[in-house]
Amino acid sequence: MKQLVIDFKKCDAGRNCEHECELECAVKVFKVDDPAKAALQIKAYEDGGGIAVLCDQCGDCVVVCPTEALKRNKLGAVILNKTVCVGCFMCIGFCEKEAFMHNSDWITPHKCTSCGICVKVCPHGALSIVDVPEPAARIL
Amino acid sequence: MSQLVFDPTKVMPIDHTKRTEYLDGLAAIKADRKVLKEITYTPSLPDKGYNNRSLYVNVDTLEITEKPVTQQMKDVFIGGRGFGLFHLWNAVKPTTRWNDPENEIIISPGPVAGMTQYAGTGKSLVVSLSPQTDIPIDSNVGGYFGPLLKFSGFDALELQGKANKDVILFIDGVKGIIRVEEAPVGPVDSHVLGEVLTHLYAEDEADLPNISVVSTGAAAEHSLIGMLNFSFYDRRRKCVRFKQAGRGGIGTVFRDKRIRALVVRGPKVAGDLNHPADPKTIAKTGIKYHKEIRENDPHQCMMRRNGTAHIVEIMDAYDLLPVHNFQYGSHPDVHRIDSSYWQQRCTQVTVDGCWYGCSMACAKGADGLILQTGPYKGDMVTVDGPEYENAAGLGSNCGVFDPDYLLELNFYCDTYGICTITYGTLTAFVMECYQRGILDKQRTGGLEMTWGNAEADLEMMHQMARGEGFGKIAGMGVKKMKEYFIRNGYGDPQLINDIGMENKGLEYSQYMSKESLAQQGGYALTNKGPQHDEAWLIFMDMVNKQLPTFEDKAEALYYFPLFRTWFGLNGFCKLPWNDVVPSDNASQPEPQKVPEHVQNYVDLFSATTGIQIDKEELIRQSAKVYNFQRVFNIRMGKGLRLHDAAPYRSLGPVTKEEYESRAERYDQQIVTEMGLDPKGKSTEEKMALHREWRTGRFSQLMDAVYTRRGWTLDGVPTLARLQELGLDAFPEVVAVVKQHL
Amino acid sequence: MILVNEEPLAWQVGMTVRDILRAKNYRFPMLIIHVNDTLIPKQDYDTTVVPDEAVVKVIHLISGG
Repeated sequence: MKQLVIDFKKCDAGRNCEHECELECAVKVFKVDDPAKAALQIKAYEDGGGIAVLCDQCGDCVVVCPTEALKRNKLGAVILNKTVCVGCFMCIGFCEKEAFMHNSDWITPHKCTSCGICVKVCPHGALSIVDVPEPAARIL
Repeated sequence: MSQLVFDPTKVMPIDHTKRTEYLDGLAAIKADRKVLKEITYTPSLPDKGYNNRSLYVNVDTLEITEKPVTQQMKDVFIGGRGFGLFHLWNAVKPTTRWNDPENEIIISPGPVAGMTQYAGTGKSLVVSLSPQTDIPIDSNVGGYFGPLLKFSGFDALELQGKANKDVILFIDGVKGIIRVEEAPVGPVDSHVLGEVLTHLYAEDEADLPNISVVSTGAAAEHSLIGMLNFSFYDRRRKCVRFKQAGRGGIGTVFRDKRIRALVVRGPKVAGDLNHPADPKTIAKTGIKYHKEIRENDPHQCMMRRNGTAHIVEIMDAYDLLPVHNFQYGSHPDVHRIDSSYWQQRCTQVTVDGCWYGCSMACAKGADGLILQTGPYKGDMVTVDGPEYENAAGLGSNCGVFDPDYLLELNFYCDTYGICTITYGTLTAFVMECYQRGILDKQRTGGLEMTWGNAEADLEMMHQMARGEGFGKIAGMGVKKMKEYFIRNGYGDPQLINDIGMENKGLEYSQYMSKESLAQQGGYALTNKGPQHDEAWLIFMDMVNKQLPTFEDKAEALYYFPLFRTWFGLNGFCKLPWNDVVPSDNASQPEPQKVPEHVQNYVDLFSATTGIQIDKEELIRQSAKVYNFQRVFNIRMGKGLRLHDAAPYRSLGPVTKEEYESRAERYDQQIVTEMGLDPKGKSTEEKMALHREWRTGRFSQLMDAVYTRRGWTLDGVPTLARLQELGLDAFPEVVAVVKQHL
Repeated sequence: MILVNEEPLAWQVGMTVRDILRAKNYRFPMLIIHVNDTLIPKQDYDTTVVPDEAVVKVIHLISGG
């Protein structure tokens, strides 16, 4: 399955960039000019280093979704079918990585789909899409 | 300190989509339908939780009308059970009985119902005059019907009249059509009827989850203990599943009205159909709660794995599991039906909520059961649950410890449309009567009703469904069986009355209250009859010793019934309140109330309706409806102190065997509680001492509880209490009470 | 001797909160435990040693049906 990964040896958590990845995601994917609504969030620690909140396509949300609105596509990425989704947000509550997100203006949740749009714009080349084995479904 | 370690390799290799198909007769039923009446209406979605109208249907005259939901109705009765009681009050007279045409069945989901972001928000309340108790019964039920009814434009559905032939009421909330159809052929039992009707009324496969069916089954026609199944379509299993409005015989009223089924077709559900005042607060509260379930449920109750069956072994460990008609509190074979078994037997890695957004997901399902008896022998079916009540009632209370038989009993109760709790308690009574010689093979028509004889137990149920033999007698319920056995001179009347576990005509649910005075009140001092949904105080009282005085017990029997009534006014389920708790709950004041969750409910109500309440107002909302229901009982000729009397089995040891099984505890109580010396006294003498002490303190408890509730010592709400709650605005209510003051 | 929910229980040297739960067969998962009015977190049940004459409260929350 396709998974977005970030290399913190290259990413400096936004200290020397304009959070291009987040902005690109927000504008191109979600059509909003607000990086806070992007499906990946890079956060800098005060004492150096940082963390990225992003979906690793683990599939826990697929298990808990009551309407089967969440399914893997051919590339293994977990995709939300918004026309089936009932906006229960269980996917958000059950995401251990807190990568399933809620925008209070929308009645459905959102997350990264490993689309790779952000990869191209990172000035440090820290983002990449990798192919990893799909984990087994967990009992949640 | 979870006892259970789940091993996924032990999950049974059952394909949960595999089961017997029942759609063969679909075309025949479709062709056979005859429209008796069809009207069009304008569908609507709620505004801040309310559509502000309800639907009235008379299945005899075929009158179909809309009624306004007034501001007064919302202020005083909120919705759900409150609306049900309000409509029923207006429909019946004091002389009305369950099978009179003016009796109604009212289904109302409540303003919050249909919310998808919090657990346990899809409930409907069903209210009717009960064939078992002759007073209003209310039953809290999941499934999709209530929310879909609301999203079709109605805050309540009133059904009145009696049809000549079987009818189906169809509400199409998308096209705006309401239709009464004649349904002369086709199945009656729910697991078949639900499948058939769901496919009949769905426009295509994607539409299946938008259909919900309310139905019952063959046994509801021939007994007084019928229940209603509320369906929901399980997308993963690709089948129709049910939750039950079980208590009090509403299914019997449904069949007496010749209603075969109610079908609603709602719009596709989305997260904002209630049009709440403050969706942000709802989303925030819901996400916080889902997270709490993910983090805490695996090491608290494991509701997602086991459902309510997680307490089978807990109740056994605390000597509280009903065994052999509530005689004993534990049994060595209980491990065969405890949650470590159900966890393997129920399919995991699926979604088991009975409404969207229920992260607690307790509606487990045992797939791949091949039936051994009855009209569906050989069929492969999915059995819902079993829930705790079913494992305890159909299982330990009757001495049935074979899990497959237990599932089969559970399955047939569901599809035949009878209440599992009631059936469990009445069968336990029949078995004890058989064991004590009150019944014998001749009196049961050949059924050997010995402890644990599941085959005879199932045969009795099949008889009930056919309206034959002893099954028909058993189907009258414990109260009427007691009267029948005594009338026919079957045995000692006092013994029969002592061991028949009913109060107000309703059977006890499955907890042993014998050693907890507060729980004795929690059962007997209820409005509808002995059901644990008003108050479950055994741990607080008996194990924790948090309620040492009568006043402490009375306070708990004031607060908890009111708090829990509120769930049923709004469309909530009780389980998410306290079957998981926040990590810091232990350090909160009054942790047994789960204060953070109470605040969640306050926030969810306020955010839906736009009416800002606090936790005190929440209790006040309930108190209005609770006291109205008490007055309603009085209006129907019940509802007084004498009707709150409890069978002695629920208060103390009836028989020598029971006494001797807990002799150490009981002897000790003679010393500490009665100040006497048990030495040299016979068991009979000691039992007599206990009876005097236990019935005396129960009477004292009644005094304390009535006083705390603002009632007279005869159990009548005082005028001052009615004024305080604003119920004096209803002259009829005041008039009922005045006759008793 | 210690008191557990107002009932006496024989005390032993090195007795932990977990030992008390075992002795009383308190198997319910949702408990709030105080030893001499100090709240004992769940993760410390195995390691918290209970002194003689302690007053132990094991509050079971409400659950079920």
